[in-house]
Amino acid sequence: MINKKKILPYLLVSPYLVHFMLFVAFPVGFSIVLTFHKWNIISPMEFTGLNNYIRLFNDKTFIRSISNTLIFLVIHIPLQIIVALFLAEILNQKIKLRGAFRGAFFLPVIVSGVVVTILWQQLYGYDTGLLNRLLTGIGIGKIGWLTDPNIAMASIAVMATWKNVGLYIVLFLVGLQTVPTQYYEAADLEGANHLQKFFRITLPMINPTIFMVVILSTIGGFSLFIEPYIMTGGGPLNSTMSAVLYIYKQGFFYYHMGYAATLGLFFAFIILAVVMIQKKFIEKDH
Amino acid sequence: MKYLFNIIIVVLLSYVLISCSSNNKDSRNALLYWCSNNTDEIKFAKINTDEWNKNNPNDQVKYQPVPEGRSSEEIILAAVVGKTTPDIYSNMWQGDVEAYAQAGVLVALDTLKGFLDFLYERCDSVVIEEIKSLDGHIYQIPWKINPIMLIYNINFINDLELTSPPKIYSEFFDASKKFQKDFDGDGYIDRWFGYSEVEVTWWQRFFDFYPLYLAASGGAPLVKNNQVAFNNEYAIEVFSFLQEMYKKNYFSKEKLSARQDVFLAGVTATRFTGPWEIAHAEKFKPKGFEYEYTFMPVPDGHQGPVYTYGDPKNIVIFKTCKYPQSAWNYIKTMIDRESDLKLLEITNQLPRRKNLSSDTFFNDYFTNNPKMKIFADQSVYVKGTDASPVLKEIFDLISQQYEACVVYGEKTPEEAINDAADAVNLLFLE
Repeated sequence: MINKKKILPYLLVSPYLVHFMLFVAFPVGFSIVLTFHKWNIISPMEFTGLNNYIRLFNDKTFIRSISNTLIFLVIHIPLQIIVALFLAEILNQKIKLRGAFRGAFFLPVIVSGVVVTILWQQLYGYDTGLLNRLLTGIGIGKIGWLTDPNIAMASIAVMATWKNVGLYIVLFLVGLQTVPTQYYEAADLEGANHLQKFFRITLPMINPTIFMVVILSTIGGFSLFIEPYIMTGGGPLNSTMSAVLYIYKQGFFYYHMGYAATLGLFFAFIILAVVMIQKKFIEKDH
Repeated sequence: MKYLFNIIIVVLLSYVLISCSSNNKDSRNALLYWCSNNTDEIKFAKINTDEWNKNNPNDQVKYQPVPEGRSSEEIILAAVVGKTTPDIYSNMWQGDVEAYAQAGVLVALDTLKGFLDFLYERCDSVVIEEIKSLDGHIYQIPWKINPIMLIYNINFINDLELTSPPKIYSEFFDASKKFQKDFDGDGYIDRWFGYSEVEVTWWQRFFDFYPLYLAASGGAPLVKNNQVAFNNEYAIEVFSFLQEMYKKNYFSKEKLSARQDVFLAGVTATRFTGPWEIAHAEKFKPKGFEYEYTFMPVPDGHQGPVYTYGDPKNIVIFKTCKYPQSAWNYIKTMIDRESDLKLLEITNQLPRRKNLSSDTFFNDYFTNNPKMKIFADQSVYVKGTDASPVLKEIFDLISQQYEACVVYGEKTPEEAINDAADAVNLLFLE
């Protein structure tokens, strides 16, 4: 007779276990197997040993796509933190229409990424975009927001910041509201000004929130895809080709499934390494 | 009791299995034909299949528009992977055929009875050579083309006091210089002579580099037998021409397609496009707007006919088809002279058959549609794509160099073509 008490826990975890096996373990395992093969979906898989890995280290476009992604992160993360913290600090004060402002800043987060991207594409247009019309109206020349290889990635980073900042404002607001008011009262008694209070009390106290925001922004930034896919297609001159976009292109445009899996695996390790380094640094500071 | 219950179960299961099997037999008899999902082609498919089914009650064909998806190419790929391909598919881009042929999912049509005789009667031998796969077999039936030509605004050409639209590069530069204008005096051009998408997407080169290359080279291949063939003076001349057009601001670098039709709005005087533009222009052109088509521009001193890209869409039979000979018999009725006339009348797309513009059978159509006659005349000098399983990658690699050289001027045309050729050669080595 089978002990029902012993079976029950397995039964209870089985839905998740089945889901995990089907949608996580099997795809990951299959991807690892794929990295040693050449496969275009329609023809049988062909074992190629380490060819995909050798190709990866000689693929200039992939290396460029990683450096593009890092450039994006270097612009996006500090910008995101500064803007979100600044706005959260303001929205944490007793200002008029505070609720409306909080809602307004959060609105882009719930709007579809595709819609936001198309909207910004119109804003960034060289000849017809609103930004350039404004600039030429005040006597400044046009800027190739998406057509100049030197600034296209920065333009995308600004757009991504606008899109996501609402979420981080909420996180910072939560962080700010957990700072005990006694610290500020004590600082007031000591005659500290607003900036001193911010840098000496607020920032250290919300360090865990900053850590979380950095981690979330990093992971979000590494998965940069929709924006360059729609706005620039990775151009001009591959300047906005993100790593994920390149992997997608290899997989679902060229159908180089084995190579795409290799790139994906390699990129996953890069993300893991970067997050671990960040964790170490921030924990050390803390 | 238990024994009886088991017998009932077995009988029921057997009945279900037999029923399924007999249903399958019925459905196998009806060939499944996927047509394009545009309204005109669905209409064409319906007329053809209705007629066929009426005359062939024992050999029925069921037509169905290719299922909706982001692109028909992706749907076909998904069907191949899932082994749910139709028996016949009529909108196959010629450039995709080689990969499918090498994957072994297409029927070698030259093994079917009567195929070659029919094909040689319908098509030029040059076309037949073009569609042959690298293994020497034929896996596709040339069906229709939409040649890329230069559309131009007649009023603008008259305003420039030109007797005809520019035919060679130097004439193109002169006309572009005269036409270019900054209306509001802000130092930026508001009117360009031509327009081509600056996007790096591989198929955008079907509307600029590739037809211009074919025009300049007299229809030379890009690749031949897995060897680069485009590293020549023609490709360099085309890159130089287009680079100059962008450098001098004769073409806009802006993505103008995001707004209203720039050609009909008079923002550009010309454009490289196909016959599909006619229906669009007739519907949306402003009052007094006059336009015409002409050949693609060629380098100064060009001799011989002006070729262009025909954007061919062909018919294939998948290996999942149980009755390829029946499928071929049906296809023959789809591409005979009568059906080709129907194709013209219903879809305004050109059948890829020899002597199209001189065959009196089509006279009435071309008399009533004079702009289509220009395309029919061009159809003699049309090329499709070369046989290669990595054609998309080749176009993508050329497109990347196109962007670097033509649009951004980062490389000389010679460097760009050499780099593209090196990259394609590496592709062949893999």
